[in-house]
Amino acid sequence: MRDSIVRLEKAAKAFATPEGQTVTALDAIDLDVSRNEFLTLLGPSGCGKTTLLQAISGFVQLDGGHILIDGEDMTDRPPYRRPVNTVFQNYALFPHMTVGENTGYALEVAGVAKAERTKRVGDALRMVGLEGMEGRKPRQLSGGQQQRVALARAIIARPKLLLLDEPLSALDKNLRQSMQIELKTLQHELGISFIFVTHDQQEALTMSDRVAVLSGGRIQQLDTPRAIYDQPKNSFVATFVGASNLFEGEAGSGQLVTKDGLSISHGRQGATGAATALIRPEQFFIAQSGDSAPGLDVDLEQIVFVGSTFELFGRTVTGRRVIAEIPAMRRSLVGEIEQSRRARLAYDPAAVHLLPAEAA
Amino acid sequence: MKIFATLARGSLIAYTALFFAFIYIPLALIAVYSFNANPVNMMTWTGFTTEWYAQVLGFKTKISENALYLESTSQLVEALWNSLIIATSTTAIATVLGTAIAIAVYRFDFFGRRFYRTIMFMPMLMPDIVLGIALLIFFVNSGINLGLKTIIIGQCTFLISYVFIVVSARLAGMDRTLEHASADLGANEWTTFRKVVFPQLLPGVVGGALLAFIISMDDLVITYFIAGVDVTTLPMFIFAMLRRGIKPEINAIAVMMLTFSFVIASLGLYLRSRQK
Repeated sequence: MRDSIVRLEKAAKAFATPEGQTVTALDAIDLDVSRNEFLTLLGPSGCGKTTLLQAISGFVQLDGGHILIDGEDMTDRPPYRRPVNTVFQNYALFPHMTVGENTGYALEVAGVAKAERTKRVGDALRMVGLEGMEGRKPRQLSGGQQQRVALARAIIARPKLLLLDEPLSALDKNLRQSMQIELKTLQHELGISFIFVTHDQQEALTMSDRVAVLSGGRIQQLDTPRAIYDQPKNSFVATFVGASNLFEGEAGSGQLVTKDGLSISHGRQGATGAATALIRPEQFFIAQSGDSAPGLDVDLEQIVFVGSTFELFGRTVTGRRVIAEIPAMRRSLVGEIEQSRRARLAYDPAAVHLLPAEAA
Repeated sequence: MKIFATLARGSLIAYTALFFAFIYIPLALIAVYSFNANPVNMMTWTGFTTEWYAQVLGFKTKISENALYLESTSQLVEALWNSLIIATSTTAIATVLGTAIAIAVYRFDFFGRRFYRTIMFMPMLMPDIVLGIALLIFFVNSGINLGLKTIIIGQCTFLISYVFIVVSARLAGMDRTLEHASADLGANEWTTFRKVVFPQLLPGVVGGALLAFIISMDDLVITYFIAGVDVTTLPMFIFAMLRRGIKPEINAIAVMMLTFSFVIASLGLYLRSRQK
């Protein structure tokens, strides 16, 4: 077993809705987070990711199962006795305290002497780039600065684990991207594990060592960002992470035939039975005359220029939608097909990923 | 079209002016007549004096010597003193209890919580005269002698509601994730209350206390029923004067009370604006 900092064993939680139904937020989840790991919980709203985070911080009591932090059973411990700190989604800074008082709160509560507290507050604020801001009130800071104070406050007591509940969702895009890099750097410097909750797949892929994709209270796949993107385990993961073209059908050796009669080549020789082929939009290229690669003939409905790429929205003769992404450097080719409104989208069979068939 | 717009604007300005005149002219008149030197008829202006103020504050003045009244100034001062004792006591009791109930009802889940919350509004909705009679019957039947303490108990029954409502409003607007953040950073419930909840609640508590104080100073109907024969509060004293001839000092007292309320209310608003 790897060196584990957090371990969930059959963690289960259900909520009763006001309408009298029961919603399963956590369906017997097993999870191991390693020391010094950046793990992201990714999923749509209502998938259970926030409940999972709150179960670790102690704000949600499990119906069943156990939580161990650094080998100690924490299942029945109140939040204030867990060696875990959280960066909240809306920052949750205390409005009546200064930045310095906010940052030093955990130390003050723990009874750390004033002199040491002042020094450590200074250090923590320096780490997040807010040196000398101790005397300000939270409302005098920008959103990004408040975010940093929340971060400094959460790391000052050197928790064994830092939980981050969609901390970047309120920031604008540029700031969010620079904060993603900073968070990753900070995590390396501190040498503690981060569990990061987000519904933004781009964010999950950018920062994480591993990503857990959640849906319906279950972990659908737990893997490195690359594996999640290149080899999704099921169609939920494939569609939630990145754009995708899925073709369900009957797989044979090197070939998959869909119900509507399309034939997709793939690299797997021994495949049989019902399966789904996945082709990412960026794997398509526009076939020129004489190209021998397999492809799909489509009528183009839309061509959208998004800067670095063109997005092509097409329809096969059988009426199936296909999305392709063509690098913008290929603009001469795009010019041609813009005239004809028809194109052959070719692909490399080796890049086609086969998913096992799922019960509908 | 242009004419209509001008007309509409003109009448709006006129309406606004009338509105404020209606509210503030009587108050301005009291302030003016409090400086009237006529000792018999306070509605007839005979000259400027500040002696009424001097008299209320206990100085010897010439003006009182030629005036004939049933009540002496010392009785008036005693009534004022009673009112202040009552208002201070009820404010202290109502603030502590009202705040505690608000926190209990908004923060903890217990059997009958919603019923309790609704019932806290009742004393405010009940007509004063009904509450006054009810309290009187209660005190008499339970053999408690009417006096200062029955006034204090009686006023508390409805002042708690006022404090409760003001503090509840503050609690309802408070962000609960702050309490989560505090717990997450290692503070237990008591520390969280002391360092996070209460400092944020304070403007509401102060506001509730000021409201309770002013209402207590002002209450006539309920107090009248439960005061007994020995104790007279300031509103009761002024009301009694109405029937026997009004002492011009009343204007001076009114202006002083008005100033006092104004200062307290301004202080409350100032504290409130500083907190958020």
